Amino acid sequence: MFSYYLRQSLISLKRNPILSLLMVMAIALGIAAAMTTITVNYLMSADPIPSKSDRLFYVQLDSWSADEPFLEPNQPPDQLTWRDATELMRAAKAERQSAMATSMMVIEPDVAQQKPFSASVRLAYSDFFPMFNVPFQYGQGWHSDADQSRQLVVVLSHDMNERLFGGENSVGQSLRMGGRLFQIVGVMQPWQPRPRFFDVTTGAFADMNDVYVPFLLKEALTLPNGGNNNCWKPLPDATFQAYLNSECISNQFWVELSDQQAVADYQRFLDNYVTEQKKLGRFPRPLNNHLSDVMSWMEKQQVVSDDAQIMMYMALMFLLVCLLNTVALLLAKFLGKTPEIALRRALGANRRQLMQQHVLETACIGIAGGVLGLVLTWLGLLGVERLYQGNLKDLTQLDLPLLGMGMLLALVAAILAGLYPTWRACAIAPAGQLKTQ
Amino acid sequence: MIAIGPTFRALLRNKVGALLLALQIALTMTVVVNAIHVISSRGDLMSRPSGLDEANQFYLTSTGYASNFNEALVVAEDLRQLRALPAVAGAIQTNATPLGSSGWSTGLSLSMDEQASGVGAAVYFVDETGLDTLGVKLIAGRNFRANEIGEREKNAIDWPSQIIVTEATAAGLFPDLSPAQVVGKSVYISSTSQTTIIGVIDRLQAPWNGWSGVERSMLIPQRTLFGSSRYFIRAQPGQLNQAMRAVQDHLDQHPQGRLIRNVRTMDETRARSYRDDQALQGVLWVTMTALVIITALGIIGMVSFNVNRRRKQIGTRRALGASRNDIIGYFMLENLLTTVVGLVLGSVSSILLNIWLVDTFNLPRIGWLYLPVAMLLLIVVGLLAVYGPARKAAAISPALATRQ
Amino acid sequence: MLVMQQLTKKFRTDDVETHALRDFNLNVNEGDFIAVTGPSGSGKTTFLTIAGLLEDFDSGSYQLDGESVQGLNDKALSRLRNEKIGFIFQSFNLIADLNLFDNVDLPLRYRGFNAAERKRRIEQSLELVGLQHRLKHLPTQLSGGQQQRVAIARALAGEPRFLLADEPTGNLDSQMAQSVMALLEQINQRGTTIVMVTHDSELAKRASRNLVIRDGRASEQVVNQRAVSQFASA
Repeated sequence: MFSYYLRQSLISLKRNPILSLLMVMAIALGIAAAMTTITVNYLMSADPIPSKSDRLFYVQLDSWSADEPFLEPNQPPDQLTWRDATELMRAAKAERQSAMATSMMVIEPDVAQQKPFSASVRLAYSDFFPMFNVPFQYGQGWHSDADQSRQLVVVLSHDMNERLFGGENSVGQSLRMGGRLFQIVGVMQPWQPRPRFFDVTTGAFADMNDVYVPFLLKEALTLPNGGNNNCWKPLPDATFQAYLNSECISNQFWVELSDQQAVADYQRFLDNYVTEQKKLGRFPRPLNNHLSDVMSWMEKQQVVSDDAQIMMYMALMFLLVCLLNTVALLLAKFLGKTPEIALRRALGANRRQLMQQHVLETACIGIAGGVLGLVLTWLGLLGVERLYQGNLKDLTQLDLPLLGMGMLLALVAAILAGLYPTWRACAIAPAGQLKTQ
Repeated sequence: MIAIGPTFRALLRNKVGALLLALQIALTMTVVVNAIHVISSRGDLMSRPSGLDEANQFYLTSTGYASNFNEALVVAEDLRQLRALPAVAGAIQTNATPLGSSGWSTGLSLSMDEQASGVGAAVYFVDETGLDTLGVKLIAGRNFRANEIGEREKNAIDWPSQIIVTEATAAGLFPDLSPAQVVGKSVYISSTSQTTIIGVIDRLQAPWNGWSGVERSMLIPQRTLFGSSRYFIRAQPGQLNQAMRAVQDHLDQHPQGRLIRNVRTMDETRARSYRDDQALQGVLWVTMTALVIITALGIIGMVSFNVNRRRKQIGTRRALGASRNDIIGYFMLENLLTTVVGLVLGSVSSILLNIWLVDTFNLPRIGWLYLPVAMLLLIVVGLLAVYGPARKAAAISPALATRQ
Repeated sequence: MLVMQQLTKKFRTDDVETHALRDFNLNVNEGDFIAVTGPSGSGKTTFLTIAGLLEDFDSGSYQLDGESVQGLNDKALSRLRNEKIGFIFQSFNLIADLNLFDNVDLPLRYRGFNAAERKRRIEQSLELVGLQHRLKHLPTQLSGGQQQRVAIARALAGEPRFLLADEPTGNLDSQMAQSVMALLEQINQRGTTIVMVTHDSELAKRASRNLVIRDGRASEQVVNQRAVSQFASA
């Protein structure tokens, strides 16, 4: 019967081509609006490191002023002081840990044709690479010895290696940065987790860094601060060392902890650390130290922007209007079909058969609307990407689950829209309809 | 012939169809009202002036890298020569620009006490030509003098003894005093250095457009020796392109161990700064327009269908003496009644959605004016949508009444 | 074959109750050709819709082919309609978008025959009404009489025991009416029982039995043809 119903549905849709087109367009536009905005929200809220996002924890210590919290209501600062970051590293109480900061350095390429340029630098510890599953094209991250001995070693991003060495294996070569020669130990594969979870302080979807060097080089080379730097307490004197010892925060800190016990232990360690520091006259606020795994940190930092959510809710209302539109049009159409339905009833079709036929008819509209809607979604995403000009980079790509979700949404929407009209039309008593055709 | 009573009773007989249309109109109104509201509140944000003469200004970043780079010398020499270029009206060294989204801020307070109330303000380092180059207006007090411009090392913690603040900063510190009364007042920067406000300018935004204190900034009379700084340049009116080319050519010809990057006009900076807001406006415009079109098409579809179903009835009415206009009027009135029901529902849901948006996303409340405007829009759209099918209905021949 | 006893059907609208059929008795035998006449509003149509299992009744009994239809669910009723009853309507009720083949196909689809069987039956019944060469035509391309022939072919395709015809010639001119009537007589002679509601007393005369419905009751007029024509013209 399926192929028969299908043929009858197509004939019925052809009978009122404009009405059918209206319904298909309504579903398509609704799906396109919904899927365009859902895609952006879905990619914004994606798990950037699914294999271990529940084992990586962001560390927050409440080192802020006694007078006011860093952020209402009583939120600890989103970064650490240099002093605490290096102390936690020295304690090394987690399986893996890395303090991080950003800076800027001028690179002077060896090649005469290339002019000096400034590169964004991420300062990190050797654990950074295994902890965040950084994929390497050549070489690897530096050895942990390099962290303490402040060796001039550097890991290049894929793009930076392309720019400097045309993509050749550059491991072992040296690179002049900030007036000093660094040894290249590794070149990453293209790596761009979205959101850039390990550092959202300068935007969750900001670009990746160009080069990675040992954290303590900041002190050794007096590198400038990149990213955000917040201070609540005046510095005692005008030296770089005074800044490093100050209460200014500009460092991030991640730890890898494999189970609940390890998390609890680390939390206790942090609280003990802060209690010790209080004895030195630091940490004037009550204990308020946080460990957040990747996804809860993303949530706390509101990685999914309000704008994206507003857009999505508006688009979902748009879809709802499109559905109401479709219900109304289907109702009109199916009620117009009552003489035919009555005839089929008289000729021996039972109610269920007619319901099936009409549900299939609405499913046809849903499928057509879904296919068209996904094409429009693709256009919509192009449009949104163009409007945002790079601010939504990599957040406008349809993947297979999204395509499936779009089709399913269209199908479910159309069938839902068709339920009431179908029921109304098929519930009509056949007797009265036959004379008045 | 047109009578609300019978039309309304006829509508009640097709309750569900009319209700669906009314709901659709209600939701459309809800989206339209709130979308226009978001669009216009973003528009308000974007239209705030920065205080600059944006159309004629640009800036670039100069970073020294050579080991023999003498910043004080190079910057002074650069600025002297740039100011001599014919297309350039002014050039200063500074650390940040309004709308540039990176910069410094620090606290200003009335006493040294850490707990003393104060305000945060953005910091811009300028020299005595800063006011003219930025294009800001002094409304009280005086400008810096050339001999007041000092030098600032990278990790310096103290501040000079004269500053100029914006009117908003002055009002934040001294809510009850006029700008002229603020001049000469002593305040503390970062709770450490005492300084005197020697002038007040009308307006100069902080670099962060989303900051609640965006109107608060201060000018600090210092040349910076941070290794990297901005040159902020004002072109002669209408000569921005010439000035940019001339400045870049000049700097390229005098490398001096520094590199030049991020050459950017203020217009571009403004566009970047508000790109997300502008994009959201665009998305909402498209959504809203498509929605109104869909609703209009839905009305056209429904009415056309009803007309076709009621051909005989319409023929009969015509045969009984209804004029073409009566028929058009009948369908117009029928739709108007549905629309009005939808708009009443829509007003309620618009306000409910706005309350939710206010709670969830900290949006401002809607102005009452949006409701009647959206109602009028939807009524007009509805009537336009009905007109086509209604005219078709009016064209039905009265002879139809007598045929099978 | 078709036995109705003490059948009653009431319609309620707001506060008026009307009896469409009251204590209606009828016994149709195999091979009968019954013409049903009566004034407008007498209950003819109600009788036909109840006989065709399109509508329920309030009390009494109705046996179709020895089986009581009371209490049967929608599915069973649909199957009975499909297998035992063929309908012919005054305005033909062909589906305008379907060609003749597909129109005749309708009841066979719901019967569940395979494709070959359906094709055989469609061609056979269209041949019977003389339209076998126009399978792919749409109903609108045919004259009224031809359309009614298609409708008859559709009613016959499932080889039902009963044909219920509601004013089958009402929309036709007299010449076409004659030929449709001749076709029905031919079908009756092949053994199909026919119940036909009509206004036309001339046609009614040609049936084997005449039933008059007045105020929801049936009375049979076996011989007195004149009386029937009086009602018809009333």
